[in-house]
This record gives sequence, structure tokens and C-alpha cells, in this order.
Amino acid sequence: MTASAAAPVLEAVGVGYTYAGRTPTVALEGLGLEVRDNEFVALLGPVGCGKTTLLRIFAGFLRPATGTVRCAGSDIDGPGWQRGYVLQEVAIFPWMTVRENLEFGLLAKGLAPSERRAVSDELLGLIGLSAFEAAYPKELSAGMSKMVEVSRVLATDPSLLLLDEPFGALDAQTRARMQDALARLWEHRRKTVLFVTHDAEEALYLADRIVVLSERPGRVRDEFAVDIPRPRSFETRFSARFLELKRLVWEATGARGAPST
Amino acid sequence: MAIRGEWRRTRKSWRRSADRWWPIARRSWLWLISLAALLAAYTLVARVVARPDIVPEPRDIADAFRTLVGRGVQLAAPEGHHHHSSDQVETLLMQGVTLQAALAVSTARVLFGLLVGVPLGLLVGLLMGWSRRADDYLHPVFILVRSVPPLALITYIMLWLGHSEAHRLIPIVYAVAVTAVIPTYHGVRDVAAKYVVAARSLGARGRLLLTRVVLPAAGPAVLGGLRYSLAIAWMTAVGAEMLMAENGMGNLLVGGGMWSSRLQTRSDPAVIIVGIVSLAAAGWAMDAGLRMLTARLTRWVSG
Amino acid sequence: MTSPRVRRAVVALAALAVLYALAAELGHGRLPDRIWLGAHYVENVQLLPTFRSLAEEGTFLVESRILLDSIAVSTRRVFLGLLLGSAAGILLGLLTGWAARLEVLADPWVTFFRFTPALALLPLYVVWFGYGETSKVLLIATNVAVITLLGAHQGVRGVPAVYLDAAASLGASRWLRFRRVVLPMAFPTILASVRIAAGLAWVTIVVAELIDARMPSLGYLLALAGAYPRVPTMLIGIATVGALVLLFDLLALLLYARATRWMERVA
Repeated sequence: MTASAAAPVLEAVGVGYTYAGRTPTVALEGLGLEVRDNEFVALLGPVGCGKTTLLRIFAGFLRPATGTVRCAGSDIDGPGWQRGYVLQEVAIFPWMTVRENLEFGLLAKGLAPSERRAVSDELLGLIGLSAFEAAYPKELSAGMSKMVEVSRVLATDPSLLLLDEPFGALDAQTRARMQDALARLWEHRRKTVLFVTHDAEEALYLADRIVVLSERPGRVRDEFAVDIPRPRSFETRFSARFLELKRLVWEATGARGAPST
Repeated sequence: MAIRGEWRRTRKSWRRSADRWWPIARRSWLWLISLAALLAAYTLVARVVARPDIVPEPRDIADAFRTLVGRGVQLAAPEGHHHHSSDQVETLLMQGVTLQAALAVSTARVLFGLLVGVPLGLLVGLLMGWSRRADDYLHPVFILVRSVPPLALITYIMLWLGHSEAHRLIPIVYAVAVTAVIPTYHGVRDVAAKYVVAARSLGARGRLLLTRVVLPAAGPAVLGGLRYSLAIAWMTAVGAEMLMAENGMGNLLVGGGMWSSRLQTRSDPAVIIVGIVSLAAAGWAMDAGLRMLTARLTRWVSG
Repeated sequence: MTSPRVRRAVVALAALAVLYALAAELGHGRLPDRIWLGAHYVENVQLLPTFRSLAEEGTFLVESRILLDSIAVSTRRVFLGLLLGSAAGILLGLLTGWAARLEVLADPWVTFFRFTPALALLPLYVVWFGYGETSKVLLIATNVAVITLLGAHQGVRGVPAVYLDAAASLGASRWLRFRRVVLPMAFPTILASVRIAAGLAWVTIVVAELIDARMPSLGYLLALAGAYPRVPTMLIGIATVGALVLLFDLLALLLYARATRWMERVA
């Protein structure tokens, strides 16, 4: 693998953002971040630290008040399929079938029906929902819906995936299974991923690198390289290295509260 | 005893929905019984008041119905089957008005109002819900426009357009458009918003975004508001006809003729009741149709 | 320090006023001032009166107390109708929402009134109660009752079962549950329906007064202005009705905002 001297896929320098309102809230301040090609980076931070704001800026829905954000060397100019974005809320289109959802990005790109079908067939197989191709989202479980959303952005083959706490609303077991599914999906189709979460274990399981954000106003507090070998499995969660890193990360996020008495 | 009562209570759904509480068949029976009770009570009141010119007996009402529908056809009437007659009925018959014709005319006006008013309201609501800028400019104007009852404008419109059909239809279109704006506005702004974000991240824009994302997402809210627009359309149509028309149900209700002359016709309550019941039936039918259409179009909605 | 929203609103409204003034000025010489009024011609009709003539007319109407008396009468009728109607409607709605048996019994009545266009009942009420206050107020009351009944019914039915379950497992009696859980939760929906009913009440009263026009009332003002015709009066009458509708609506909105202070605001 040639070391890429090219521009990082995602680059943020000195990014700041303030929400207007009766009491203006500074969501981000002086934040710098870099994501390289084919890296899986987890953005870890407490609730309200500005993770979603940052992701929205990367996705092109917000313009940073200060600083610059660049994708593959050029300024980010608005939303687009090159930066696939999966929201925190449920955004699977309920009026379309699963297959139609998957093919939507391709429809926007102008692909022919046969081409779209080929891609959606493959994705359905990958996530194991071939039986549900003609089902409406209301028939899917929350986890399945989210996987459809993730696959939906994968269909357009973007250079960057932005995932905002996709498994946040799921229970622990489902979440673990979804993490596995995502990991397998990623290994099958390597992409650059920026994954937001508040769950340290999730971050460790999925990512190559963890960036820890501070509380509001958000800025980079710490960074960890996750040197656990891939492919990762159920066993990985109990390996020594995993637990060691977990402790470090938890301490970095301030999970260890003030000492009693 | 107490334990059994307790057990029964915990089994019932708190929402006390009649549907789940009693099976459908028993509910229909109760509905019919209630209806019968309504008729019986009315008949009783009619008998007690004993003023057929104010509270007509059901028989009179039925006769009026028959007369109006049959246009006073001079058939040899079977025994005990008499034609209903009164000032109001005579005026109507003179004009050749039948119940079906009046209903048809009113329905036509309502449909016209919907066909023109709904797209208008949809357009404005879409614009306001989509662009914050447009909303800032248009919303205050809309609030002003909405505050003026369309029928209050009817005398003014008459000066411009005279006694024409347009003069009667404009208030209906106006009322429908105004009521269609808010549901569309909320549908686009509140409901569609997050789907639009997802769709734009998939590269959708322009027409694709509008037709495949915004409209379906806002659809249920819009369709729900449509039932209200329908009710308003009927009310405005009947009102306009009562004030300024020579045909239609409103006209039938005020006894035929323009409002300047209706004072000379003694109103016949039997005719009025026939008219009201027919209007209720027509309104119910159209509403049911709209409900079915909505259910059809929103099969994908969960819950 | 005005926000762009306020600025744009002012711009839009100012633009409207300017457009009208322009139209009135342009129309002065060009619009026909001879109108065919069904049976005869009428001279000297200003189809688009200038702001000046509107102001003059307005001053006259206010000074002669015509406008204020009309407003008082019409407002009183609407207010009374709203009071009576909402009292009856809310009560019945709460009952039918809470007790399913009553709901099924009342259903034919409610459905009938619900699908009858509000104004259609006017001739009937006139026959029963004669021309005058009673029939008008009752007409408004009937319509308001139907709307608020549906609102209250929906409000009660819409209370999430979880809250009732929680209350029950805390030992609350049926009555307490109704008072302290159902009523507060249903209140916003009820208020919203009252707001809608108020708007409809105004529409109803205007038409009722137009049909049964007698002094003093806003409908009569409009009818009279239409008979001459005297356009400035007509427009002022229409504007007054609009202003009153807006006022009632704003009041209802304020009430709603206060009553729902505990609710989470959706951005």
C-alpha cells in the first residue's frame, strides 16, 4: 500500500460553530481533525459535545463559523453523494420499499433500472435482507432499518461515510450484532468512515482510530490508535488489549468520576 | 365479588376504545337503536309541540322529500300518499327545482372549489414550508388573508363581477386554498425535513427531491387536512348559495329566490330538514370517499 | 436589532399596502364607476377606494358610533355562542371520550351535526326561534359545540395509556385519574379546537347577519354597504371582521401557549 501523500479524505482546521438563539451556544471551538483514506475513525464524546454539529458540517449542511473543512482537498460546498451521511434519527423513507430505498441514490445518479437492480441485489445479500426487498420499512425492526440506511449510502459508492450514532437507539444485544454487520460490511467494501458514538466499546470494536471530544464547546481532547488486528470478532471484546484500551479511553472521556469523599 | 371486578378492570384497555370493548356487531345494533331513539324523540316532540308549521312530523318530512325529488309529478297518487305543499315548496317547484338537481349543483361547486383551491393552497404551503425566506415574507400576508371570512367578501366581489358563477365560486376556492395551506406547511416543514436531509446526502435534488421525497413525506398531513378543506368547501358553497344564488342547496334551504325576496316566502321546515339531511348525507359520503382515498395512498404509514 | 424575520414581515406588509395604494390611484380614473346592480345602474362607485377615502369613511363610522356598536353586537354574539357551545361541547366530548358506552350512543347525533354545513341550520333555527338573537347565538353555539366535542373527545382518547397505568399503580381512583391525568393532557387539544371553533364562529355570524340583517351588527353593515353600494364602508367592514378574527385567534394562541408551558417545544 503506497503511503498516500495526497490530501486526506477529510480535513478540518480550527472549526468553530455557534448556534444562534436567545442564548447562543458554542457547539464547537478550534477543532482540528484529519481522516485518511480507508480509515475507520470513531468520534467519541459525551452527549451535547457537538458531534452531530461537526458531522453536519462535514456533510455540508452547516457552514463553519470559523476554520475550514475540506474533503479530498477541495472545500465542502453542500451535501452530496460523495459524502454519504446517515442521520441519528430514523430517515429510511417509509413510503418506499426496502429495495426502492436502496436504489434511491442510484436513481438520483441516473442509473438504468437494470444497473440499479444489480447494486441493490448485492447490497440486499450483504445485509441479509433479500427476503425483505419488497417490504415497507414499517415491517422492519429498528436495527434492520438502520442497516438499510447504511447500505443506502453505500450504494452510491461515496468516498466518505459519515455515520451519526446509527445504533444509539438499539438495545445492547442488537447493537452488538449491528456492529458486527457493519464491520463485515466495511471489510467487504473498504471506505473511509467517520463514525460518531458515545459508546467507548463500540468505538474500540469498530475503529482504527478514536478521537475523543471534550464537552461543549467541543474540541479534540485525546486520540487513540486502535491497534487490535482485524477481522474482529466476539472474542475480541474480551481480549487483553481491548480491555486495556477500554480503560484508557474511558479515563480519557472522564468516565471515572470524582473520587468519593 | 371485589376480586372478580378487579380482574375485569385490569383486562380492559384503559383507552376504553369502544371498538375493542364491544364487538362490531353489537356496536352497530346500539348505533341503530340510538338512531331510532333519536327519531322517536323527535316524533314525540313534534306531537307535543303540535305546530306542524314549526316542527313537522316525520311523515311530513318524508312527503316533502318525495315531492322535491319527484318534482311534483302529476301521477295518480295511491291512497294516503299526499303531496306536500307550502309556500316554499311552491316557489321551488315553480323554479323547477328538485332535490337531486340542487344537490348536484352544490356538489359541482364544491368539487370545483376543491380542484382549484387545493393545488393553490398546496403551492403556497409548499413554498412557505420549504424556504424560510419565503415563509418570513408570506406568512404575515397569509395570516391577514386567512383572517377575512371569504363570505364577507362576497358583496364586494359582486361589484366587480356581478351576479355570475365566478362571483359565487371565488369565495369557495379562496376558503379551500386557505385551509389547505397550513397542513401542507407543517407537512413540508416538520415531517419532510429530515427525509430531505437524507435524500440530499444521497445526491437527490430538484424534481426528484420534490416528487419522490417531499410530496410523499408530507402526503399524510396534507390528506388529513383535506377533509377539513372539504367541510369548509361545503359550508362556503351553501353560504354563498344562501346569499347569492338561484340554484343549489343553499338556495333550496332559504326557500328559493334571492335573499332579497326570500323574506316574502314562508319557510317550510320540512323542506329545510330534508335539505339539511341531504347535505349531511352528501358531506358524509364525500368524507368517506376521501378517507378511503387517504387510506389507499398512505398504506405505507405505520401505526 | 430586529431579526430578519420581523424585517421581512414588515417589508411584505408594507409592500402590500403600497401595491394597494398604487392600484387605487391608478384605478381612480380608469375603473368603471357605474355598476349594474341587478336591476339598475348605480353611479359613483369607487371600486378601489384610496386610503384617503377609506380614512375619511373610517372616521365617520367611528365618530357616528356605527362601527363600534356593530362590533359590540357581533362580538357579543360570537362570545356568547363560544361560551355556550364550548361548555356543552367540551362536557359532552369529555364524557364520550371517557365512557365508551356514551360514545356509541351519542355517535349518530354527532355525526349528523358534524357533516351538516354550519350555515345550513340557520333557516331551521329561524323557523324555530324566529329572527333575532336566539337563532344566531344558537347557530354559533351548535357549531362550536360540535367542534369542541370532537376536540375534547380526541383529547381524552389521545392520552397515552402509560400515564394512566402509572397513575393506577400509584393507587389513583378513576375520578382522580380523570382529574389529574386526563384533563391536563387533553387540555391542549381542547384549546386547539376552541381556536378553530372561534374562527368558524366568525364566519358563521357574518353570514347569519348578512341574511338576517338588522341593526346594529357587522353583517348588517356589510349588507347595507352592499345595497347602496358604499365601497369604503364595505372594505372597512371586511377589514374589521378580519381584525376581530385575528384578535380572537391571537388570544386563543396566547391561552394555548400559557396552558402548554409544560410541553416540550418542537424547534
